[in-house]
Amino acid sequence: MSYANFIARLVTERRGLVWFGVVLIAAASLFILVTRMTLDSEVLNLLPGKFESVQGLKVYNNDFAQTRELTFALVCQPNDVDRLEEFAPIFAERLRAQPWTTRVLGGSPMETPEGIRDLQSIAVPLLLNLEPPAFAETVSILQPANLQTRLHRLHEEIDAGSPRPEFELQLDPLGVIAPALKPFAGNAALQQGEPLASPDGTLRIFLVVTNQATLDAFACQALMEKVNSFRKTAGAGWDGGPLQVLVTGRSAYVAEISLSMRHDIVVTLLGSILLVSAVFFVGFRRWLPLLGMGFSLLLCCLVALAVGLLIFHELNMVTIGMCAILIGLGVDFAILIFGRYQQARNEGTAHAPAIAEAISKLGRAIFFGALTTSVGFLALLLGGAAGFTQLGVLIAIGILVAGFLMTSVFFLFTRERSLPPRHDWILALVRQYVRRMLRAPALILWIALPILLSLFAIAISPRPPIIFDASTKSMEPKKSDAGFALNAIMTKMPTRWEPVIGIVRAPNEEQLHSDWQRVEAHWRDLQTAGAIKDFSTPAALALSPKLMEENRARLRTIDFAAARQALETAILQEGFSRATFATGFALLEQLQAVGRGTQLIPDWRKQLPVSSSWWFLVDRYFAQDPLLTVGFATSNQPVVTHEQKEKLREILPVAGVPMTLSGWSFTLTDLLPWSHHQLILISALMAFFDASLLAVLYRDLRLWLIQVATLILAVGAMIATMKLGHIPLNLLNVLAFRLVLAIGVDYGIYVLLVWQKAREVEHDVAGVLKPVALAGLTAIAGFGSLGFANNPTLSGLGIACAIGLAWSLFATIFFTLPAAAAVKPNSVQGTT
Amino acid sequence: MIRLLLPAFFVLSLTSLLSAALAPNDVKALLDRIRTKRAGSPQVQADFKEEKTVHLMNKPISSAGKVSFQAPNKFRREVSGSSPSITVSDGQTLWIYYPKFQSAERYSLGKHSPLDAGIAALTAALNLENVESSYHITASQEGDGYALQLSPRNPSLKRLLTTFNIQMNAGLQVQRTEMIQPNGDHIVTNYANESRAPIPPATFEFAPPAGTNVTTPLGR
Repeated sequence: MSYANFIARLVTERRGLVWFGVVLIAAASLFILVTRMTLDSEVLNLLPGKFESVQGLKVYNNDFAQTRELTFALVCQPNDVDRLEEFAPIFAERLRAQPWTTRVLGGSPMETPEGIRDLQSIAVPLLLNLEPPAFAETVSILQPANLQTRLHRLHEEIDAGSPRPEFELQLDPLGVIAPALKPFAGNAALQQGEPLASPDGTLRIFLVVTNQATLDAFACQALMEKVNSFRKTAGAGWDGGPLQVLVTGRSAYVAEISLSMRHDIVVTLLGSILLVSAVFFVGFRRWLPLLGMGFSLLLCCLVALAVGLLIFHELNMVTIGMCAILIGLGVDFAILIFGRYQQARNEGTAHAPAIAEAISKLGRAIFFGALTTSVGFLALLLGGAAGFTQLGVLIAIGILVAGFLMTSVFFLFTRERSLPPRHDWILALVRQYVRRMLRAPALILWIALPILLSLFAIAISPRPPIIFDASTKSMEPKKSDAGFALNAIMTKMPTRWEPVIGIVRAPNEEQLHSDWQRVEAHWRDLQTAGAIKDFSTPAALALSPKLMEENRARLRTIDFAAARQALETAILQEGFSRATFATGFALLEQLQAVGRGTQLIPDWRKQLPVSSSWWFLVDRYFAQDPLLTVGFATSNQPVVTHEQKEKLREILPVAGVPMTLSGWSFTLTDLLPWSHHQLILISALMAFFDASLLAVLYRDLRLWLIQVATLILAVGAMIATMKLGHIPLNLLNVLAFRLVLAIGVDYGIYVLLVWQKAREVEHDVAGVLKPVALAGLTAIAGFGSLGFANNPTLSGLGIACAIGLAWSLFATIFFTLPAAAAVKPNSVQGTT
Repeated sequence: MIRLLLPAFFVLSLTSLLSAALAPNDVKALLDRIRTKRAGSPQVQADFKEEKTVHLMNKPISSAGKVSFQAPNKFRREVSGSSPSITVSDGQTLWIYYPKFQSAERYSLGKHSPLDAGIAALTAALNLENVESSYHITASQEGDGYALQLSPRNPSLKRLLTTFNIQMNAGLQVQRTEMIQPNGDHIVTNYANESRAPIPPATFEFAPPAGTNVTTPLGR
C-alpha cells in the first residue's frame, strides 16, 4: 500500500486511533511547556555570542551595578526652570524615601556635607595607595613649616575673595586629602562633562540604585509597577506648567520588553490567525477545514516549542515570532493539499481516494517545500546568535511537523458529505489568467519583465543607496517609555558619545592595581598624542596591598606631635576658626594610629555608607566582584565604522593586560562584517542550495534557469522596494534574505512540478496556482503580522520577509509561469 | 527682660520713622531711574573698603582697593595693602592673581559654572540691569538716599545669598552694600569716589605675568 493510501485509510477508517495519537502528542507537549517554560529576555542573546565584544557587553550588563540603576528625568517648560531647580531636592528626597531605592544621586556629592564627609572617610587608604614619590610629597605638607605656609596662603586667598579656600578647607583642612584624591578626581573628570542638568535647565537627572533582589523579567515588572506608581504622585506640590517624570534604565527596558512580549505574542498571533484564516476562508469557504488547519498549526507550535525547550532549556523572546511565522508558512501546506483535495472532489472522486490523490500529487512538493524552508531557517544557526538559532531550529522543527500534520491529521477535519462550493470565483479568475497566459505568455512577460528588471536595476544601482542601520537605535523597542526617556535625555543633554569600555578581570588586588596602572599610563599617552579624546579608569581605587604597607611604614617617620602643634600655632596666628580644622586633627590622629599599627588600614568599601552618592562613581568601575573592573575611553569621534573600531582595538589594549573591549557602539560596528557576511555569504549558500535542489527536482535546464532567474528578480525587487521605501537593513533583518530564498522558491517548485507532469495544463496549473496564490498571501500575512510587534528585531525581520515573499509570489505568477509557457510552447499547445 | 529690649524697640521705631518704605510702583520707578542713569554711562569705577566676617576665621577681615565695572559683565577688583590681589573678569574667564605668590587662579564662567551665581551677586550692586529677574526687591527712602533690599529668586543665588542690601545716595551712587550668606558669612563694602568716565578695555583683560603659577581649582 502506498503512503498516500495508508494515510487516507488511517484518517478515514481509524480516526479514533489518530485522535488518540494527537491527544497524546498535545498532552506531552503541554506538559513540557508547563513544567519547563523559561523565557530569556536578554536582548544581547540576539547578537552572535562568538564575538568578544558581545561577551563583554553581557558581562557589563549583568555584573555591574548599573543593572540595578534607574535614571529619572524631570522635564519642565522653559519658564519653569527656577521652579524645577527648587523642586529637584524635594523630588530627590521623595525618591530616597521610596522603599525600593538604595541610594539616590540628584547633584554633585561635593555639594553636600555627607558627600564631603564620605570622601574624607576614604582618604587614608587612597593616600597610602599613592606611588612613593607622590606619597612623600603629600606627607611633606605635614612638616610644621609647610603647615604654617599653607595656612598663611589660604588666609591671603580669603582676603582676595578667592572661592578656593572655602572649598579646600571644607574638604581638606590638612592638605593631604586632595593629593590622595587626585587620581580619583582625575577619573571623576569624565563625569564633569556629564552634568545632571541640561544646559537650558529644563531637564534634571536623578540616578537611583534600586534594591531589586533579582534581575529577571518578573522582578523588573514588579519594580517598575512601584516606580510607575511613584511617578504618578512624584510631582505633588509642583506649581508650574506641565512636568514630565521620565524613567529609563535596564529594569525599565526589561519590564517593558517582557510585557511587550505578551503584546507581541497576542498581536502577531492573532493578526496572523485572523489574516490567514480570512485568506483560507475566502479561498475555500469551509469552516471545518479552517478549524482543522488552525488545530494542526496549533499542534505544530506546541510540538516545536516543547522540542525547543527540551533542546535549549529556555526560549529567547525572539522565538515568540515563531508561532506567527509558522502559521503563515504551515498554512501553505493546508491550502495546497486542501485545494488539490477539493479539485479531486469536484471531479467526482470519493472522500478517501481524494485524500490519497491530494497526498499523492502534492506530498512530494510539500516535502521539498518543507525541506527548503527548514534548511532556510536552520541557516540561522550559521549566524551564531542564540536567539535566532532557537528561532531557526523551532521553525525548522515546526515546519517539518506542519508538513506531516497537514498531509495527515488535517484530513480528520474533512467530511465525506462536505462538497466544494459550485462556484469558485478565485479559481475562475485563476483559470482565466492561466488560459490567457498559455495563449500569449509573451504579452505577460512584456509587462512583468520590465517591472522586475527595472527594480533589479534599482537594486544593483548604487543610487539610491540601501540604508544600513547599525546604530543602537535599531535595537531599541518601538513605542518604549524607557526609550522615550533615554531619547529625551540624550536630546537635552550636552552631546557626548558613548565611550568604549575596557573590561579587566584580575586574579588578585595587586594584579588589578598593576594592570590598571599600566592601562592608565598607556591611555594617558594616547590622550596626549590625540589618539583618544579622554578616558577614565578605576586605577585610583584599585589599591595595591604592597604599596599601602610600604607607605604605612613611611608614616612612622612623621613627627605627628610636631605637626599637631604646628597646626595649632598656625591656626592661632592666621586667625582661623579651630572648628574649621576639626576633621584635620582627626585625620592626624588616624594617620598616626595607622602608622603605629594600632589601627588597621581602613577598607574604603566598608568606610563608604551604602547610601553614599560616591558609590555611583565606584559602581561605574567595579562589578559585584571587586576584581572585575571596567575603564572608559572616549574616542575622538563617535564609533560608527569598522575601521574606527579596528583602530581602537589596535591602540587601546596594553601588552600583558587581558582586556575585553566592548560598548554598544563598539559592538555594533564589530558586528558589521558579520552582518555583511550573513547577508552575502549565507544568502549565497542558501541560493546555491536552492539551485542544486531545483536542478535535482526539475532535471530540465530551461526550467531550472527560469526558476533561478525568478529568485534573482524577486530578491532584486525586494532590495529595490526597501531602497525606495527607505526601509533600513539592520544587523538582524539581513537574515530575511535567506528566508525569502528558502520560502520563495517553494512557490516555483509547486507550480513547475505540476507544470512538468500536467496532462491538462490549464486545469492542472490553475488547480495549483490558486492554492499557491493563497499560500503566498498567507505567508505574507504571517510575516507581515510581525510588523505589528513592538520588538524591532521581529518587526524588521517580518516586514523584510513580507516584502520579499510578495515579490516572490509576483515573480512566480507573472514571470515563472509565462516564461515556462514561452520556452515550452509545444507541450502547452499539445496538452491544452 | 522687657527693659533690656526697650532700647532695641526705640532704635527700630526710630529707623522706621526715618526710612519710608516705597510702594512697588515707586520701586519700579526708582529702578527705571537707576537704569536710565547707568545706560548713559555703562561703566563705573570706585574705591572700596570691605569688611568680611567669614565662618572660617575668628576675626573679620578688612581690605581696601579699587573696583571697575563695565556692563554687562566685565569687572576688575584690585586689593591693595599687605595681601594684594587682582581679580579680573572679561565675562568668560575669571582670574585671581596673587602678586606676592606669583600665582593665579583661573575659572571659566558660564556653562553652569558654580561661580556664576557668585559673580552675579558680586556685581549686583554695580549692575542693576534686569535685577528684578534675579531678586525680589524692596526699597525705602533713607534721608535723601535709598536703601534697596534684594532677596534672591532663583535657587542657585539662594544657595549663595540670604539678603543683599544696597544703600544709594541721592545721586543714585552706591554707597554701601551688605551681603549676608546662608553660612553666616557677612560682607560689608563701602564705596567712595565713584567715577563714570570711560574705562580702557585693557582693564578687563588679564594675562598672567611670566613665571606665574596658574591653577584651575575647578578643573576647567
